[in-house]
Amino acid sequence: MPSFAALLPVILLGTGAVTAMLAAPRLPGLARWIAGFALVAACVALALRLGAPDGLSVLLADDRMSRLTGLVVCLSGLGSLAFLRPDGPSKEGPALLLLATLGGVVLTGAVHAASLFLGLELITLALVALFVLPLDRPALEAGYKFLILGAAAAATLLMGLALGHAATGSLALEAFGGREALLTFAAALLLAGLAFKLALVPFHMWTPDAFTGAPGAAAAFAGAASKVAVVTALVRLDAVGLPQVWALGLGTFAGVSILLGNLAALRQDGVARMLGYSSVGHAGYIAAALATGAASAPAAALFYIVTYAPALLAALCVAALIGRATRISDLRGIVWRRPLAGAAMAAALVSLAGLPVSAGFFGKYVIFTALIEGRAWALLALAIAGSALGAYYYLRFVALIFRRAPDPADPAVRWPERTLLGAATAIILVLGIRPDLLLDQIRAALP
Amino acid sequence: MGYDMELTALILLPFFGGIAALFAGRWGRDAERWVAIAALGLALLILISSFFSDGDGRWIAIERYDWAPSLGLQVILAMDGLSGALLVVSLALGIVSVIVSWKITEYSGLLNAALLWTVAASNGVFLSFDLLVFAFFWELMLVPSFLLISVWGHGDREAAALKFLVFNAVAGLGLLAAVFYLGATGETVTFDAFEVAERQIPHGVQVLLLLGFAAAFLVKLPVPPLHAWLPDAHTQAPTAGSILLAGLLLKTGAYGLFRFPPMLFPEGFATLAPFGLALGAFGSIYGALLACGQTDAKRLVAYTSVAHMSIVLMGICGGVYFSLMGAGVEMVAHAFSASALFLLIGALYDRTGTRDLRELGGLQQNAPRFAAAFAVFFSAALAMPGTANFLGEALVITGMFQVNWIFASITLISLVISVVYATRLFKRVVFGKSRRTEALEDLTLREMGPIVLLAVATLLFGMLPQLLMGALEGAVEAALVPVTVP
Repeated sequence: MPSFAALLPVILLGTGAVTAMLAAPRLPGLARWIAGFALVAACVALALRLGAPDGLSVLLADDRMSRLTGLVVCLSGLGSLAFLRPDGPSKEGPALLLLATLGGVVLTGAVHAASLFLGLELITLALVALFVLPLDRPALEAGYKFLILGAAAAATLLMGLALGHAATGSLALEAFGGREALLTFAAALLLAGLAFKLALVPFHMWTPDAFTGAPGAAAAFAGAASKVAVVTALVRLDAVGLPQVWALGLGTFAGVSILLGNLAALRQDGVARMLGYSSVGHAGYIAAALATGAASAPAAALFYIVTYAPALLAALCVAALIGRATRISDLRGIVWRRPLAGAAMAAALVSLAGLPVSAGFFGKYVIFTALIEGRAWALLALAIAGSALGAYYYLRFVALIFRRAPDPADPAVRWPERTLLGAATAIILVLGIRPDLLLDQIRAALP
Repeated sequence: MGYDMELTALILLPFFGGIAALFAGRWGRDAERWVAIAALGLALLILISSFFSDGDGRWIAIERYDWAPSLGLQVILAMDGLSGALLVVSLALGIVSVIVSWKITEYSGLLNAALLWTVAASNGVFLSFDLLVFAFFWELMLVPSFLLISVWGHGDREAAALKFLVFNAVAGLGLLAAVFYLGATGETVTFDAFEVAERQIPHGVQVLLLLGFAAAFLVKLPVPPLHAWLPDAHTQAPTAGSILLAGLLLKTGAYGLFRFPPMLFPEGFATLAPFGLALGAFGSIYGALLACGQTDAKRLVAYTSVAHMSIVLMGICGGVYFSLMGAGVEMVAHAFSASALFLLIGALYDRTGTRDLRELGGLQQNAPRFAAAFAVFFSAALAMPGTANFLGEALVITGMFQVNWIFASITLISLVISVVYATRLFKRVVFGKSRRTEALEDLTLREMGPIVLLAVATLLFGMLPQLLMGALEGAVEAALVPVTVP
């Protein structure tokens, strides 16, 4: 049985969510503080127990990997909270964000069908509510799409779990390894369900709308924190030894995602829309590495998503600062007016493009190396082509950041946002010089 | 061996100098410029003092330590004569570029930082023998030089900067993929070039990997048809940017080609070298002919760079002693002469507001110092005997005759065309009459300093060739590859 300390993060986030929900209608400011406090406390609880001995319950693993990725999920949740603006009439944002983070933390430890489903659905449902918070047309469209597609994905996932149970008589995920025909169907359906959350083509349709219509912070959570948790689940399932169809499907989705995501991002002028389509491409790189089955693939996938998170958070935060539906021209010369926002945006985009000195450069390194180790030449060629396209469309935006065209009207950057931007930039740069700081942690966490 | 950290200091001094320059503006007027000059000057002193230490055979100094061991990353810095010569070029041109941008006050902290970071990254390229670290610095160079063009450039600078960045970043992916392959396929994960060079790599794989490396190098060099970024980048860049582009960035392409293909993939290089020769031959004629047709002085010099770097490419792909030596000398010589021409044209543009050859002229009467400086570097551009450029091109042609007489004759033809464009430029700028240059202020003392420095370097290496050739010996011998042209 896991100790109380092992469950403390989940308890903190859960009680925090309930308290924040109660406080929200009357004291929205307090709800924010409660959410922030709960997240920081959960981070501390996870960080302190990083090296503790493993424990395992039927539902949740309490191992180094769940703590490390749980920590990243909480930190990303904190990052999203930093620029969650009280849009529209509703004030439940912080509470919903806590619920979604709770789902993420559960998902990072999921070793059982129930916890997998619970974690995923907690994220999805909280995110649907977060997406529609502004209560305007684009937000409703984003939430509606996410809800419909999410429901379909959840049904698929449930069917996969049911088939797995039928084949093995067990609901523990590790029992799903094997070569039976029924398990093949189970693996295919599980993959489809998870691919939806990771936004792999053809399950990516919600992404561009969510990034443009939903509040920036909600989109950031869907792109960063939630994907860290989903990649952890993928890594766990990958280690189980699922039927062939798993790797095959993952590889196919990956190839198509890299190609289509990057091609679609190529001509976008909206900052958020570009980030949305390109996130499909980035998810493709991760899936490609996992599909090869190379020994270094799990570490590569986790390293990539963890370095992707701060870059996406910083980029979406700056986009949200300028306003909703920020276009490429709005970034013109921003570094001269808001040096921190401009520098953070530039660092984030350079990292997403994979140029040094940024974490993204080494992200590219681990992914390409995994593809080479796995001898996945077709996926490698696609990844190179995708990176080439990425270099073009990211740098287009970087070019404007430094343009000499001062325009005085600019919103203020408040302290939570300043903290987020500073921290994200620091993480990107430090990991761009010392990638081993993170990679060693990830390797130690993998079995 | 020298003392322990000198090579590291050559990279870190400009890097941290750049960070200091970024914030130095608040310490006093022009503080950021003095910080930049101090950092580069100190690095230059360290470099020169290291030349007098006892080397280890070909190597003047070698440094090794771990960077990120779990990724197989090591810092392996090694300097032989070729790296040493190019480092002198890099630091000297860094100082020159700080001086020529003295009057730019707009965001001057970031300007000087970008100059220093470009120098720091290219120093890293010239020193690194861990292939991943090499690739790291290779890509890193792009970011500050991109800023130089897009923030302080002229005309349609954003488009030019983006073109520069995209061409080079995309081509760099070839290098990255090949380097990752080399790292992942060894017995242990290592990017140590000396270890990789020991491996037996199958011939077909060598050719593929070499194509990846060559993509990055040939775009940076640049050789037609991969040169499309260069004329715009050079023309729209500020003077300091043009100096660093022509003097430094193009040389990193030539350096990479000189250093790594013969070392890592000797057989693959022997197979592909004839194609390199053909590309170089085409480029040398194409660049020279296009230079003849330009009316924008800066664009003209940019195309001459294409022609000259194509000759360097031929020298490297020739694979014989003379052609390689010539390529090495020409790299250094062209760095000095091309940057001096960009400096002069930039100074002229600041005063007259035009670079159009049809509107310029009359310098000989109105600004004799200008005219004299132009005279020196025109002779360098057309490889007049006595300049280092002559030495380089003559050696390449000598070597070419040992490889294949057709390529040798093409190089000669390119030299003849260089006389056409250089005299045309000279005549249009220095002689004749122009309303625009009537009240022209002659070169100031601050502009004369770099000019004299570059002129002395050009003539010194032309008159005392053994100075440079002695230093390049070791690198040239390591790059010898038997090339047979069918």
